[in-house]
Amino acid sequence: MAKPTDDHEISRRELLEGAGATLAAVATVSALEAQPAAAQSVTTNDTVPRTTIRVAVNGMRHRIEVEDRWTLAELLRDRLGLTGTKLGCERGECGACTVLLDGTPVYSCSHLAVWADGRSVQTVEGLARDGRLDPLQQTFAEHDAPQCGFCTSGQLMSARALLNANPHPTADDVRAAMAGNLCRCSNYNRYVEAILAAAASPRSRG
Amino acid sequence: MAEPITPLKTVGHPTPRIDAVDRVTGRATYSRDVTLPGMLYARVLRSPHPHARIRRIDTTKAAALSGVKAIVTHENCTVVWGAGGIAGGRQYVDEVKAITKQRRYAFNNPVRFVGDPVAAVAAVDRHVAEEALQRIVVDYEMLPFVLDHEEALTPDAPKIWPEGNLSLDVENQAKPLAQRRGNVDEALGRAAHVFEDRYSTQFVHNAQMEPRACVAAWEGDKLTVYTPTGGIANCRHDIARDLGLPDEKVRVVCRYMGGNFGNKNQNQDSDLIAASLAKLAGAPVKLEFSRKEDFIGMHGRWPTTQYYTVGVADDGTVDAIRLRAVSGMGPYRKNSGGMAGLDLYGCGNAEGIIQPAYTNKTVSGNFRGPEFPQGYFGIQSMMDDVAYRMKMDPVEFVLKNMARTAPGNAPFTNFTLEECIRRGAELFDWKRRWHPQPGSDPGPLKRGAGMAFMEFRSGIGQSSAVITLNGKGQYTLFVGVTDVGGGAKTTMGLIAAEELGVPLSKVEVVWGDTDRCPYSVGESGSRTTIMTGYAVIEAARDLKRQIAANGSPAGEQVVIASATPNPTMEGRKVRNAFGAHFVEVEVDVELGHVRVAKYLSVADCGRLINPLSAKGQMAGGAIQGIGMTLHEDLIYDQRTGQPLTAGFYYDRIPTHRDAPEIEVLFVESDDGYGAYGAKSLGESGKAPGPAAIANAIFNATGHRFKDLPITRAKILGALA
Repeated sequence: MAKPTDDHEISRRELLEGAGATLAAVATVSALEAQPAAAQSVTTNDTVPRTTIRVAVNGMRHRIEVEDRWTLAELLRDRLGLTGTKLGCERGECGACTVLLDGTPVYSCSHLAVWADGRSVQTVEGLARDGRLDPLQQTFAEHDAPQCGFCTSGQLMSARALLNANPHPTADDVRAAMAGNLCRCSNYNRYVEAILAAAASPRSRG
Repeated sequence: MAEPITPLKTVGHPTPRIDAVDRVTGRATYSRDVTLPGMLYARVLRSPHPHARIRRIDTTKAAALSGVKAIVTHENCTVVWGAGGIAGGRQYVDEVKAITKQRRYAFNNPVRFVGDPVAAVAAVDRHVAEEALQRIVVDYEMLPFVLDHEEALTPDAPKIWPEGNLSLDVENQAKPLAQRRGNVDEALGRAAHVFEDRYSTQFVHNAQMEPRACVAAWEGDKLTVYTPTGGIANCRHDIARDLGLPDEKVRVVCRYMGGNFGNKNQNQDSDLIAASLAKLAGAPVKLEFSRKEDFIGMHGRWPTTQYYTVGVADDGTVDAIRLRAVSGMGPYRKNSGGMAGLDLYGCGNAEGIIQPAYTNKTVSGNFRGPEFPQGYFGIQSMMDDVAYRMKMDPVEFVLKNMARTAPGNAPFTNFTLEECIRRGAELFDWKRRWHPQPGSDPGPLKRGAGMAFMEFRSGIGQSSAVITLNGKGQYTLFVGVTDVGGGAKTTMGLIAAEELGVPLSKVEVVWGDTDRCPYSVGESGSRTTIMTGYAVIEAARDLKRQIAANGSPAGEQVVIASATPNPTMEGRKVRNAFGAHFVEVEVDVELGHVRVAKYLSVADCGRLINPLSAKGQMAGGAIQGIGMTLHEDLIYDQRTGQPLTAGFYYDRIPTHRDAPEIEVLFVESDDGYGAYGAKSLGESGKAPGPAAIANAIFNATGHRFKDLPITRAKILGALA
């Protein structure tokens, strides 16, 4: 008998829509317990439900058919080619995939593409305007905030949301707002410095 | 004292990375960002059991699923993953793969840990591939398993390999790692004081932010692999060897990599699986690991149990150290399993016997200073305790007992450790922050200070570089680096600019592609700056010589210079980086919470090529050390052998809120070796951290915590 060991027992959509209790149950299911193979209803590409959504991404409006099971990150990366948004965990733990949805930071790995219908998404590719870097991008580069750089897009988007809401944060405000954005290189000091420097820059509300 | 270094024009000035804008605009391309026409998506089915024999795999239902293009299992894919195991720490030696009795295949039967790959599917998209995995029926015969590395060496433990659970070395010998100097038995016999204790450390996952992803594509008999690696040249050689191809038939590309932290200077099973699927399907394949798969399918720092016996004279001089230890390797020996520490002390009598043991847990491998943070935690906690019992200030104890020469009285190229410690103690205000009586604060918030030090290998060796100058005056530097986070391509550009006497902006750096770049040692072992930096200097000198002899190129002319130097040390000299960490903690004895209140990292890493990135490396290493000391742990269910904390959240890597400000003091020196005197840097920033933090917790609480991680539960359990 097959005993899938990963989170594959449950579809992405069920995972995202499930309550916390569902998540806990998945985490504790012992793989030693018999799990019939393909207990979930299996859909193939030919029969998978699709929905047409309207979404504005970095100011560009799209009318696009998406599979209902796609995450927002999949829509951005695989369909729209916006690979600046990174996937670090695909389960809402690391923040690498953070984008702004109507100005609010969300984990695009844990958000279905269909939920973006009628809404506006901003990704790291949309931060620079008219060829001018966002002040955060400028200070991130100057302060050497990215080491490996994989978490950087998410750090930038969370920081942008913070400065939009609070243009003059303290270092503690920054750490609190950024707590959901992990950096294994642990260049946290530099990220905080860079965000404070951007807040202090004359273009900070740019 | 370190001689003052001579300032240079380009090297040594804080410089943003040459690719900084690509990194902050999302343009930097990581392996998973690569998309090729007609590309398929692949996923891996992994063993749910810690130890089982596969009786039968039925893939017919999966193959029947619309959109499935290829399936591989141990039955139709018998590729041996040479770098994946049975290496004894020498994974690049092809002869080892040829002779080893304990082969690790891309797909193994029996499977030996939860996460061992069982099958992989390539399909038109990742959802179909995931669904196909659920349709694969595997019939397992359960085998007994063992999780604890000490228990694994007991006579009645289930045998993971026919030869037993003591890992075989590169000569197929079941021998422990042994190190001896002087006569420990005699020295312990005459010692005025003898102390014994046991310390243990946990499995800590590398947990780089980028989960493993690989794109493999065949054009005829040539394979191109886009994969995260810190060493494109070594990765290519490993892939070629494992697939039976000449090196020239494999191209490895890594433009950007989302963190390395160890054991990424070779190939991974994902490269072999993706290549096998791509061959079978006749189409490019992108293989993606989930975060959980990366946690259980890759590797992390080997857990250890360390038993010390230390003999001390009345005046606090250490005269004998004995270490008996076991390290847990998982079921395949991906790396050495060693422990650093005995060489830190000058005492003439020392003996270490370390047994790398197989277990049915996930595989252990190199993680930032592979033998260091856990070995240093054990021995420097032990010595801190000896200092306490001898009623000595730990700083005075270290200054008295630290090694001032390498083993065998070999001289160091320079010795700056004492200066690092003295300047650090002064800047940190050690005398004021350290409590002569541990745990003496009234509480509930108790403060205390601790320190630990390092002597970190900083060897020199062979690497290559190519520099061209065209008729327009443009310099192009070709180096086989990736920049896994340490800033290698900027570092190489700075070195070239310095030696050529031109601004950095005049040097174009080409990197990350084996079809374009010469051999580089790979970003592991903290040696790229030293070794590839050397090669860049030599290539630049060659270019200057050619121009001096033949004049500058004009029109369509191009001058090409290259170098593959293999520098050697003079005499018996040994080259080390040195440093010390000073930490003040505040322990809430009612909540069990530890807050790092002050952290000073002092280091002589030789001359700094780019102080901006160097400081980030040291601070990042320190914060990783905080995570290792206080919470990171891959915990297993003892009954089922299931990993319970696989992932960022449950493993608890540090977040923004866990990260204190790290002060970094560099004591720069130039010993005449390396690139302009640069020594190793990247790994060393973590090495003494856990010992320093643990010693500070002892100083704050008066309780010696001997098992990492020092969690709230342990603190409350000990102090309540």
